[in-house]
Amino acid sequence: MKLLKEKLESIFSSIQVSILKQDRLIISAQKDVVLSILSFLKSSGYAHLALVSCVDWLDEREFELVYVLSAYMQKDDEYIDKEKANIILKTRISRENPEFLTVISIFKNAEPYEREIHEFYGIDFKGHPRLTPLFLEREYKMPPFRKDFDTREYVKEVFDKIPFVDNKDGKK
Amino acid sequence: MDRNKLVKWLKAPTKMGHKYSLHVVYFCTGCGIIEIPPVITSRWDAERFGVIPVATPRQANLFLITGYVSVKTLKAIIRTYEQMPEPKFTVGFGSCPINGGMYWDSYNTIKHLDKYIPVDGWIAGCMPRPEAIFVAVTHLWTLIDKGMADGYKKYREKYKYYRANQEQLYGKMDWPPLFPIEDKDEPNPS
Repeated sequence: MKLLKEKLESIFSSIQVSILKQDRLIISAQKDVVLSILSFLKSSGYAHLALVSCVDWLDEREFELVYVLSAYMQKDDEYIDKEKANIILKTRISRENPEFLTVISIFKNAEPYEREIHEFYGIDFKGHPRLTPLFLEREYKMPPFRKDFDTREYVKEVFDKIPFVDNKDGKK
Repeated sequence: MDRNKLVKWLKAPTKMGHKYSLHVVYFCTGCGIIEIPPVITSRWDAERFGVIPVATPRQANLFLITGYVSVKTLKAIIRTYEQMPEPKFTVGFGSCPINGGMYWDSYNTIKHLDKYIPVDGWIAGCMPRPEAIFVAVTHLWTLIDKGMADGYKKYREKYKYYRANQEQLYGKMDWPPLFPIEDKDEPNPS
């Protein structure tokens, strides 16, 4: 774990690496080095992209993309060597212009995660082959997972305006 | 057979048949479905009440909505409900189909299920115990006896309004109307 930390800090100068607890490594990076960090980590054994997630920091006007990586177990000793590390890679992009590069060229399984983030947060991933709707049935004015999406007003506008059938025709 | 019910059987055999062969369609929404396996298996053995799950909506006449209904699930619920043969009964299970429950301000959960399909009875609670299903079933029996479980008739009569509500939510629907929609209110100019 500490070896990896030193190696990362020597190759990429602008990143901050911290060890949260025994098997949890957190990397905060600028957005222009994310792809090279991911390809470096993949080549050094962390070949499993478990999750791509997103956090909306409304006050700082930024989105935070989170990539969670882990290693596959091949032999027992190799597993001990990597100390069962889970790597969390964080990067911030601006909220006014939510654009980022896709990581499909490195991890193919990032496709549905990026589609989901595009649908719920409205982040545009450049180079993604199909950013079509994945889960949502309706169209929303604003992506619904953003912090400034007012759910109560949306409920009032959409669901409360649909009338009860019993009240029609004036009889119960 | 219970000898006290012999008169009822002779008077209205179809009603008694409907009462004691409530076939539930296999359809799971939300978290309430976790209560269904103990209900249909040996612990609470629902077959004592004539309630058994069946594979397709074509064979079913009882529809248990077992939890919160998202916008996407409602489409499947409407399709399933329209495929079931009459007479059909719907029971909303848990507090979420009643008024949204804990998802009252969610952006993607239906708040009142009876705006879109008719519901004959509700089981309140979060979650209701399996015994509550049997209370509901026995209550449904009395409703069928009195002819009050008439949700399917209401759906036929007021289909115009149900369809309008569904279209208000979804925009254009993917399938044609189940019953013909006539506009009696607006006179035809031709």
